[in-house]
Amino acid sequence: MKTTKTIFQDGSHKWVAIVRDPQKPHHLIDTNEYLVTHGGRGLLLDPGGAEIFPAVFSALATEFDPSALAGIFASHQDPDICSSLALWLEFNPQMHCYVSWLWSSFIPHFGGTVETFVQIPDPGLNIALEGLLLQAVPAHYLHSSGNFNLYDKTAKLLFSGDVGAALLPAGEEALFVEDFDRHIRHAEAFHRRWMGSNDAKRRWCERISQLEIDMLCPQHGAIYQGADVQRFINWFDELQVGIVGL
Amino acid sequence: MTHFLTMSEPPPQTGADLLRIVRINEEIKRVVGVSLKINIMALNAIFLAKRAGTAARGFAVLSNEFRNFSQDLRSSMAVLTGVVYGCVNEVSVMLQDLRFTRLLQEAGRQAPQAALAGILERREEKSAGHRENLAKLRGQLKRAFEEAFQMVELGGVLAKSAKIEAAYGQGFALPLAQVSGEFDQIVEEIRASLEALRRSAFFSGN
Repeated sequence: MKTTKTIFQDGSHKWVAIVRDPQKPHHLIDTNEYLVTHGGRGLLLDPGGAEIFPAVFSALATEFDPSALAGIFASHQDPDICSSLALWLEFNPQMHCYVSWLWSSFIPHFGGTVETFVQIPDPGLNIALEGLLLQAVPAHYLHSSGNFNLYDKTAKLLFSGDVGAALLPAGEEALFVEDFDRHIRHAEAFHRRWMGSNDAKRRWCERISQLEIDMLCPQHGAIYQGADVQRFINWFDELQVGIVGL
Repeated sequence: MTHFLTMSEPPPQTGADLLRIVRINEEIKRVVGVSLKINIMALNAIFLAKRAGTAARGFAVLSNEFRNFSQDLRSSMAVLTGVVYGCVNEVSVMLQDLRFTRLLQEAGRQAPQAALAGILERREEKSAGHRENLAKLRGQLKRAFEEAFQMVELGGVLAKSAKIEAAYGQGFALPLAQVSGEFDQIVEEIRASLEALRRSAFFSGN
């Protein structure tokens, strides 16, 4: 089973990270899921692949009633992002899935009906969760061609999807980045290969620099907090991406 | 870089059913191919009988019947293909159901939830419905195979009659006998295919 860690709380407004499953088979990439709650309802960010559903579900259920989930935010279309969609919909078939318009006819292959999907236009969308306004921020081509991050202005948290992701070796699986220079080595190859456009990356860095962010929460690896957030943005801005070392 | 495909663990029952349906479909395609060959052979036999004249009038009638047989066989195979398609649909849904039920059960073991019990119950009802549909389709497929088999029996009778008629073909007796022999061979080929289909474990579940 995964573990949960509340990374922000102010009354009913919470961010819960669902992370690290020691029983996870090694052939499945490790993922972080995040639950945002407000006013008794929840939004699950990148709920993960079908095979890890039991681990995510059981961890989430320790913190929150799964039938109170109002929606799912899918940063993009990959199977490790939301191939568990049909299983979550079992708990609340009225649940919405927010996803880039680009993928709104692809993700239904994982489940859902036409009513399930809320298409996010390219410039982004405000998502209201019981009075809490969350912003879907464009991160196109990082890595997917239709890609969004989710920003919570009140909590000052950014769910950054694959941006900031790191493939951590055994023994270096802390939830927060502890030593940036040591950590970033595990992120470099991933970003060079997965991120396809230097131009898109530059625009993202400019856009994100304008936001007030206490924590940058990626879908893989560790969370950047405090000064490490800007450190990461600067590092990413300098990195040449879209490279295959053949 | 080359990736070599290998067979892994034997599939469970539903997965095995999908494999069996695929094999049934391949055999149906083979029968359709052979029946198209019969059509061409029958057409050639009609021309040959015409050249042989009145002595091969009976042979010409039988050759025409072979053309009808070929058409009927293809229609029968089209019906079978439709039923097979229905089976693929049901088995595919059942395979997905199995996977999702397994994952939900696993979630329930890790974090017992009242909502899960209701969900699993609903899924079981749906699964029972799919199992019932598949059983009906299995029965339909079996009946359709039996009908096709009877049709092939008729084809066998036609081939034997053509052999007898060929003997009355006077100067054309030899080529007519050769054609009727080919008819016989091809009907046997279809019979063998249908026999194999009849014995498919998809019907016995073994």
